[in-house]
Amino acid sequence: MFRPWFSLSDPIWQDFDMLSREMEKIFNENYFSPAGVAAARVPMPAVNIGETADKVLVYLFAPGLDPKSIDLTIEKNLLSIAAGRDTAKELGEDAKVTGYYRKERFSGKFRRIISLPEGLDTSSIEAKYKNGILSISIKKKEEEQTKKIEVKVD
Amino acid sequence: MADVKGQEVAVKTEDTTPQEAQRRRPVVVTPPVDIYELEDGVVLFADMPGVPKENLDVQVDKNVLTIKGEIGDIVPKDITPLYVEFNGKAYERAFTLGPDVDVSKIEATMNAGVLKIFLPKSEEVKPKKIEVKVE
Repeated sequence: MFRPWFSLSDPIWQDFDMLSREMEKIFNENYFSPAGVAAARVPMPAVNIGETADKVLVYLFAPGLDPKSIDLTIEKNLLSIAAGRDTAKELGEDAKVTGYYRKERFSGKFRRIISLPEGLDTSSIEAKYKNGILSISIKKKEEEQTKKIEVKVD
Repeated sequence: MADVKGQEVAVKTEDTTPQEAQRRRPVVVTPPVDIYELEDGVVLFADMPGVPKENLDVQVDKNVLTIKGEIGDIVPKDITPLYVEFNGKAYERAFTLGPDVDVSKIEATMNAGVLKIFLPKSEEVKPKKIEVKVE
């Protein structure tokens, strides 16, 4: 019998799987639906990365998390962020739900692994969670920082 | 006339380069929502990460509920983007309310980037228990 040489349930393929699902969503939903109706379809949680002269900054758009539940690890230059939320629990147990109109928000667990640029001082990592955004700041190693060189006039 | 027009254009290009204008223009994103019906009202949750309470605007005009929020300053000014998945600057979405919502008693709270709005049903439409008397 023919057997696939890899399984999509293997964790290393999950990112590809997620990517292809996002592509499908973009083409099937947003592309043909009237503008403004479709909700923001970004992978949960979306990640932005930027740099300044002495730091690399990672922003994770993950609203509604319990900051204590965020599992943040770094190994070599791989930053791993795992957390989750259960939107069903937001209502409280005594709420008498009789139905729903929309369920568009992400519910469940996620893990995102981010490959950081080389030359970072991974011992100086700072993370804070505010207004639903997790901001992570990692200092560049001394030799990687942009330095300003003064030009002397003789 | 031609002179004045030329000046205006000159002022504009000096003030804002196209890149600057691109950066300033708010990219408005439609936030994803969950809407539940409860016995005594409707609850709406909207994901609006990055919006502080003071940048939030919830309005009801006639039967249209509008939620708006601007993302606060989170990045340093001298940042260079390396990788961007989300480029929204603000959120906006509007909903048409049914006639049974008591508009005067709407409550909104914001926590960790999640906006929660409770829209209570007006007294007339709440389910009432009618006791059946047995004679």
